[in-house]
Amino acid sequence: MASPNHHHQHQGKQQQQRRPDPRLKTCPFCEHNTLYLDYKDYPRIKPYLDYFGNIRNRYYTGVCLRHQKMLKQAIERARFMAMVSYRK
Amino acid sequence: MPEISATSEDTRIYEWCILYPYLLGQKEEREFFKEVEDLFAEVGAKMVAKDLWGRRGLAYPVKGAKEGCFAVYHYEMDPAKVREVDVALRIMKGVLRHMFLKPPKHYHIVKFSETYEQWLKDRETTEEVRVREQEEKVKEQVARKAKRQAKLVTSERKKTKEPALEAEDLTQKIEELISDDSLNNL
Repeated sequence: MASPNHHHQHQGKQQQQRRPDPRLKTCPFCEHNTLYLDYKDYPRIKPYLDYFGNIRNRYYTGVCLRHQKMLKQAIERARFMAMVSYRK
Repeated sequence: MPEISATSEDTRIYEWCILYPYLLGQKEEREFFKEVEDLFAEVGAKMVAKDLWGRRGLAYPVKGAKEGCFAVYHYEMDPAKVREVDVALRIMKGVLRHMFLKPPKHYHIVKFSETYEQWLKDRETTEEVRVREQEEKVKEQVARKAKRQAKLVTSERKKTKEPALEAEDLTQKIEELISDDSLNNL
């Protein structure tokens, strides 16, 4: 029979292995007090695009709504100027 | 670069981005720039900044061109004249895409042609790091494989040791026989 501590030990192990809560992320743009996002700044935009060229969900990237809207604007402009693809 | 602001109340600063195909002839390129700048000069616009990006691969083909060059201008001009220039650029030969926008508040003009080159260099180094890591992985795999093979060889030796002993016995017997023969001959 398992010891009475066994259950607690198992739970502790699970907590260690669990991923950090995506909701707890902080906005990377707010940290630097970003006032605007430039569509020409490809290296800055790139991490927020996935393999297929879609804009990453802010639930996963942790970007706040204000900056997500700026990011969307910048990416759409970059797409129009053929700096970023619409769809891979 | 300092924050940009219009000098008078009647004018605004606009950013113009123009995409044109990658032209091989330098003369043609110069003519193209002259044409574009004349267009702005006609309207009475004042150039604030000019940034030529040079040859760039495009994310998707535009009017059959897979490579293009970008030119980013900052012009101080009358807002009433923007439409005029926009229409002219749309008609102009050699312009694949163009876009104008009003820079946001607190906007600083950055020369992206330089920062992009720097980024490319940094990215190369990250690429090198990735390659190095991959090589290390392969080396580890090779080492593991060698170890496994060494283990296999030792185990095989253990298996083959018993017949080796038999062979020794055989040689001993043969030697005995030979010695017997020699005795017989004597």
